[in-house]
Amino acid sequence: MGKVKKKHPLVDAKRPNLLEDIFPYSLPPMIHLEGPVIENIDGKPVEFDFGAVKDRPIFISDTTFRDGQQARPPYTIEQMVRIYDLLSKLSGPNGVVLQTEFFLYTKNDRETLDRCRALGHTYPECTGWIRAVKGDFRLVKEAGLKETGMLTSCSDYHIFHKLKFRSRKECIDSYCEVVDAAFEEGVRPRCHLEDLTRADIEGFVLPFVDRLMEMSQQVPEERSVKIRLCDTMGFGVSYPGAELPRSIPKLIYKLNRECGVPSDRLEWHGHNDFHKVHVNAATAWLYGCDFINTTLFGFGERTGNPPLEGAIFEYIALKGDLCGIDTMAITELAEYMRSIGLPIPDNYPFAGRAFNTTRAGIHAGGLRQDEQIYNIFDTAKLLGRPPRVAITDKSGADGVAHWLNEFFGLKGDDRINKIRVHKLARWVIDQYDVEGRLTAISDQELEVKAKEFYPDYWEKYKSGK
Amino acid sequence: MATVEERVKAVTANVLKLNVDEINMNDSFTADLGAESVQSIELVAMFEEEFGIEMDEDAALSVQTVGEAVEFITDVCEQQGVEIEE
Repeated sequence: MGKVKKKHPLVDAKRPNLLEDIFPYSLPPMIHLEGPVIENIDGKPVEFDFGAVKDRPIFISDTTFRDGQQARPPYTIEQMVRIYDLLSKLSGPNGVVLQTEFFLYTKNDRETLDRCRALGHTYPECTGWIRAVKGDFRLVKEAGLKETGMLTSCSDYHIFHKLKFRSRKECIDSYCEVVDAAFEEGVRPRCHLEDLTRADIEGFVLPFVDRLMEMSQQVPEERSVKIRLCDTMGFGVSYPGAELPRSIPKLIYKLNRECGVPSDRLEWHGHNDFHKVHVNAATAWLYGCDFINTTLFGFGERTGNPPLEGAIFEYIALKGDLCGIDTMAITELAEYMRSIGLPIPDNYPFAGRAFNTTRAGIHAGGLRQDEQIYNIFDTAKLLGRPPRVAITDKSGADGVAHWLNEFFGLKGDDRINKIRVHKLARWVIDQYDVEGRLTAISDQELEVKAKEFYPDYWEKYKSGK
Repeated sequence: MATVEERVKAVTANVLKLNVDEINMNDSFTADLGAESVQSIELVAMFEEEFGIEMDEDAALSVQTVGEAVEFITDVCEQQGVEIEE
């Protein structure tokens, strides 16, 4: 057994301390950060002030129509316009979801962009996405966009094996020609450092970014190069002590403080190949990247991108305020996406059909007493989704009572108590013990039984609906 | 009219599918008579129906033995003015 270094006396209490400054329930749990955080870089301790994120202007950008669409059959124009409209509602008047990017290559791509802009929303701003090909800027200019992303792959896997450059210098010269073309067309280039987390940072990435910074001095600030840090294969690592090129803290430090790329020109774009996608994006915010690039429900190439809804709740938790975000739009978006065939797993956070559904009777008992015990925040208020109980043989009378009260919409003293639900609870148990059932009981089956066993409640609360 | 004890034992035997003669005043509903979670609820509901009373849910469900149930129900009947044979 380890040696005791500090005694911790019990702080007895007669009233609960629910830590409501961290868990306000009306909002998602807050993330309070204490600083400074130290990362050793090139043998020296470097300080990062995570707490500054509360006041720093951080944003979410969206790539649902670009990376998100690479993972599925194309959306129709109408579908994209509807999604854009809901994204704007979610973003709110402060533009928390500041930008979304569009392909520009086909007639449909361009018509979609026109129709989205015709809605007249301020946010998200529409940006483009093109190859690093000079001729493609004609598309950007014709579309009247101020900013476009362009592929500037930076690992030797891409430089030599995919793009077939003969040298790194040839590669950089080629990229810089395209950046010059963007400047000439009056378009802000956003250089997507593809495969950054598998690149030679000191040997290629930093010299390239140095050159981009020099080039940016020729143009006004609003047209200077933005840098998207693309963790193309999900290799990025969030925790301190990891080495380059996988370390997110070190990557951001090098670009931000050595190359001098301001935070408002840095954007993180991740992939979920190693289950790190959301926390990697949030880490990028903390270490000095103002933008994180996301897709709705994390849907994107292979394993997907940082989920936009996750970023939304992270944002609120870091800022301590909704900042104009309309979180109810997440539920509307989920319903719409399901209606057009996008599969959202039942247990998917914030949007799955069962994300706040409990099955265990003991949890249902807790919910029945006080929903805060087993609900992450006020999901009814923020998402229009009150906590639910799925009825199985493990639900117990507590679970059945919770289901029944929710079904009839009963609150407070009007709620049906556990004793009154005994007939329905017995029917549920017999389904398993007598009938040998192995599946959960559907809402439709329970509704039939609720009408049979509680005709007075049915008459009062359901007959008119 | 049967006594409270006889009526409690009769309801218990019916709900738990036991012979009345097997039920003793000191028996725990769960440990000795094998009442499962839903059966505990059913017992309380059937006691309410048998005696024509309404019991506080938490207090009723905290009763452990047959004897305690007899005592508890007797008290509730007195409070709610229900006539019983003691």
